[in-house]
Amino acid sequence: MRITNRPVTSNSLFVLLSPFVLSWKNELLRQGEKKWPRRAVLLGLGLGFWAGIYWIVRRVLIYFETVHGLGPALAYQLLLIILITFLSMLLFSNLIAALSTFFLAQDLDLILSAPTPAAAFFGSRLITTTVNSSWMVLFFSLPIFAAYGSVFHGGALFYLWVLVVLPLFVIIPAAIGALITHLLVYWLPARRIRDILFFIGLFAFVILYFLFRFSQPERLVQPEAFGHFLEFLRAMEAPSSPYLPSSWAAEIFASVLFQRPVELWFFYSLLLSYALFLPLAVSRLSGAVHLPGWSKAQESRQGRRQGYLLDSVIRRLTRPFPDTLKAIMVKDIKTFLRDTTQWSQLFLLLALIVVYLYNFKVLPLDRSPMPAGMLRTVVSFANLGLAGFVLASVAIRFAFPAVSLEGRAFWILQTAPIDLRALLWSKFWLNLMPLLFLGELLVFLSNTLLRVPQWMMLLSLVTIFLMTFGITAIGVGVGALYPKFDYSNVAEIPTSFGGVVCMICSIAFIGMTVVIEAWPVYLLTMAGLKPGSSGVSGWALVPSLAVVLLLTVVTVVLPLRLGLKRLDKLRD
Amino acid sequence: MIKLENLTKHCGRLAAVDAVNLEVQPGEIYGFLGPNGAGKTTTIRVMMGILKPTSGSVTLGGYDVEREPEMAKAITGFVPDRPFIYEKLSGGEFLRFVGSLHRVDADLMRRRIPELLEQFELSGWRDELIESYSHGMKQRLVLCASLIHEPKILIVDEPMVGIDPRGTRTLKDLFLSLAKRGTAVFLSTHSIGVAEEVCQRIGIIHKGKLIASGTMADLHRLAKMEEGKLESVFLELTRDGSSPVE
Repeated sequence: MRITNRPVTSNSLFVLLSPFVLSWKNELLRQGEKKWPRRAVLLGLGLGFWAGIYWIVRRVLIYFETVHGLGPALAYQLLLIILITFLSMLLFSNLIAALSTFFLAQDLDLILSAPTPAAAFFGSRLITTTVNSSWMVLFFSLPIFAAYGSVFHGGALFYLWVLVVLPLFVIIPAAIGALITHLLVYWLPARRIRDILFFIGLFAFVILYFLFRFSQPERLVQPEAFGHFLEFLRAMEAPSSPYLPSSWAAEIFASVLFQRPVELWFFYSLLLSYALFLPLAVSRLSGAVHLPGWSKAQESRQGRRQGYLLDSVIRRLTRPFPDTLKAIMVKDIKTFLRDTTQWSQLFLLLALIVVYLYNFKVLPLDRSPMPAGMLRTVVSFANLGLAGFVLASVAIRFAFPAVSLEGRAFWILQTAPIDLRALLWSKFWLNLMPLLFLGELLVFLSNTLLRVPQWMMLLSLVTIFLMTFGITAIGVGVGALYPKFDYSNVAEIPTSFGGVVCMICSIAFIGMTVVIEAWPVYLLTMAGLKPGSSGVSGWALVPSLAVVLLLTVVTVVLPLRLGLKRLDKLRD
Repeated sequence: MIKLENLTKHCGRLAAVDAVNLEVQPGEIYGFLGPNGAGKTTTIRVMMGILKPTSGSVTLGGYDVEREPEMAKAITGFVPDRPFIYEKLSGGEFLRFVGSLHRVDADLMRRRIPELLEQFELSGWRDELIESYSHGMKQRLVLCASLIHEPKILIVDEPMVGIDPRGTRTLKDLFLSLAKRGTAVFLSTHSIGVAEEVCQRIGIIHKGKLIASGTMADLHRLAKMEEGKLESVFLELTRDGSSPVE
C-alpha cells in the first residue's frame, strides 16, 4: 500500500506542494531574463483587459443607478448572474483540473510509490487544483468587485468581505469538482472521462451561449423593454438559487453594498461550513476510492483505426496536392478527427455562426433615422471587419497551433528528406480551405439578410476571400515563429505569447484592409443615395482592391517566410 | 559512407561535440560509446540535420548534410533515443506517412509495411492507434519506419532502451544482416555487450571529444591493456572524473 493512513502533518503537505511552488518560482526567476519583455506585454494586456472590465461594469452600474429606485436591485441581480457564472466556470474547470491532478499527472507514479499520507496527498492536490482552475476567475473578478465598491461606496469593509468570501467561494467548487471526478473515475476509465467532460462542458457552454443570445440582452438598454426586464429579474429569483454558494456570497456583498436587511453572519457561516466540510468529506472519500480509481486510470485505451470510407474521402480531398504535402495533410486530418479536444471545438464554431447570423436578423435597421439603404451598406462594410475578426479567432484556435501540434514528433519531419517549406504550405492549405468556406458563408448569408446592393455583395466576397489568405498565413506563420512543441494541453497553445502576437497581427491586417477600402465604399454609398448625381462607378473600387491584393500577398509571404526561418533556427 | 570532419557543436559556451573526425564504410557497424552527457546524442542530431554544426561537416553517402540535406536524408534511416510519434495514427498509417515523406513507391510500400511489421512482431497491432502501444512497441515501430525506404545508412541512438531480450536479439540480427547487405550502421549505445558483439569498430566519445576509435585490438592498445573485455577498456579510457550534461 503506497498511501499511508498516517495523520497529515503540515510538513508532508508542504513537501508535496513544493514541486508546484518551486517550479513556479524557477519559471519566474531562473529563465526570466529572456521572458521579461513577453511578460511585460502579457501583463500590459492583462491590465488593459482588467481596466476594460472595470470601466464597462462601472458604466453599467452607474446606468443602473439612474433607474430611480431600482438601481441596487438591478445591481444585485447582475451580481447574482456574475457569481453564478463564476461558480459554473469554476465547477467545470475544477472538474477538468481535478482529473489531471488526481489521476493523470505524470508525477503520480513517484508520489504514490512513496509513503505519502492520504490526507496530505489529497490536501496538496486539492490546493493545486484550486489554484490552477481559479486564479484566472479570481483575477478577472477583482475589477468587477472594484467597480461595485466604487459605484456603491462599499468602502474598506466591502473589500475586506471580498477578501474573506472569495477563498471560501473557490474552495467549494474545487471540492465538488474533486468529489465528482473521484466518483467518475471509480466507475469509468479516466482517459474516457476527459473526453466526456470536455463534451459536456462544451455543450453546456454552447447552450448557455444560445440562451444568453436568444434572450436578446440588448433589450436591457432599451427603456421600453423594462417590463420584460423585470419579469426576467423575477425569474432570476427562482427558489433554487438560495441553495447555491453564489447566492450566499451575493447576499453577503449585498448586505454591505446596498445595506439590505439580510443575516450577513448566517450566510457567512453557511459558506464557511461548506468550505470546511466539503474538503474534509471528499478527503475521506478520496482515501477510500482514489487508489482503485487511479489504478483503473492506468488502463490504456485500446484505440482502433476506424472509418475506411473516411480514408477515401480524405484521399480524394487531398488529391490535387503533391505527395509530401498530401502525406502531411492526411496525417493532420486524421489526427484532428481522432482528437476529441480538437474537433469538438467545431461545435463552438457552429454556435458562433448561428449567433452571428441571428444578430443580423434582429438588427433594427428600419428604426434608424439614417436611410435604410445607406445603413445596410455601412453595416455590411463593418461586417467585413467583424467577419475577419471571427476568422482570426477561429484561425488562432486551428491555424496557429498547426505547427506546434507536431509536438515532440517534430523530429520525424526534421529528419525526413523534405523541405520544411512543404510543412508550412501543407498547414496553410489545410487551414485555408475550411476558413475560406466559413468566411464566404458568413459574409454571403449576412449580406443576404441585410439585402445589400450587388456591388457591395461582390466587394465583400472578394475582400473576405483575400483576407482569409492573409489571416491563415498569419496563423500558420506566427505559429511557426513561436512554436510550442512541449505542450501538455492543446488549449495552452493559442493562449501563449505567440497567440497574442498572432491576434494582434491579424487585427492589424484586417484593419488595414478595411481602411484601404473605406473611401471608395463611401463614395459609392453616397452615389447610391443620389442616383445620377455623380459619375462614381464600380471601377472606383479597383485601385483599392489592387492595394488589398498587394497587402494580402505580403501578408501571406512574410509570416510564412519568418516562420520558416524560425524553424530552421531551431537547429542552432 | 558516413564521414564526420572536424565536427564541432557548441551549446552556449560548452563544446558538446569537439572536432570529431570519423568515417564509417558501407557494410560496417560502427559502435559509438560514451558516458552520459559525453555528446553522443548531440553528434547524432547534427548528423541527421536536426542541429546545425558550429563548424566542420557531416557527409552521408557523399552528400553534405548542410548543403544537400534532402539527398542525405533520403538514403538514411534514423532511430532516436525516445520514440515520440503521432499517437493518434495507427501503426500502419504511421509507416505509410513516413514512407510518403521518403517518396517510397505505393506498391513497394504495400509490400514493405506488412513485411516490416511481421519482422518486428507488430502485425497484430497494425490498425491499433499508437497511443495504446507500449514503449518497446513504439521503439520497434520507429525501427520499422527507419527501414521503410531501404536506407543505405542507418543511424541508431540507444536502440536497446525499453526493448526486451527477444527484441534485443532481433535487433542485433537485424544490424548484422543490414551490414551484410552493405548498409552502414552507426550505433550509439550504452550497452557495451551489444557493441562488443556486433560492431566491427568502436568510437569512444568523452566530454565531446572522440578519444578513441578503432577495432577492439586498437582500443586495447590505446588503453595500454593487453587483454580484457570492452568494459575495462571503456572504463580505463573514460576514467577521469565527471561528464558534462548532454
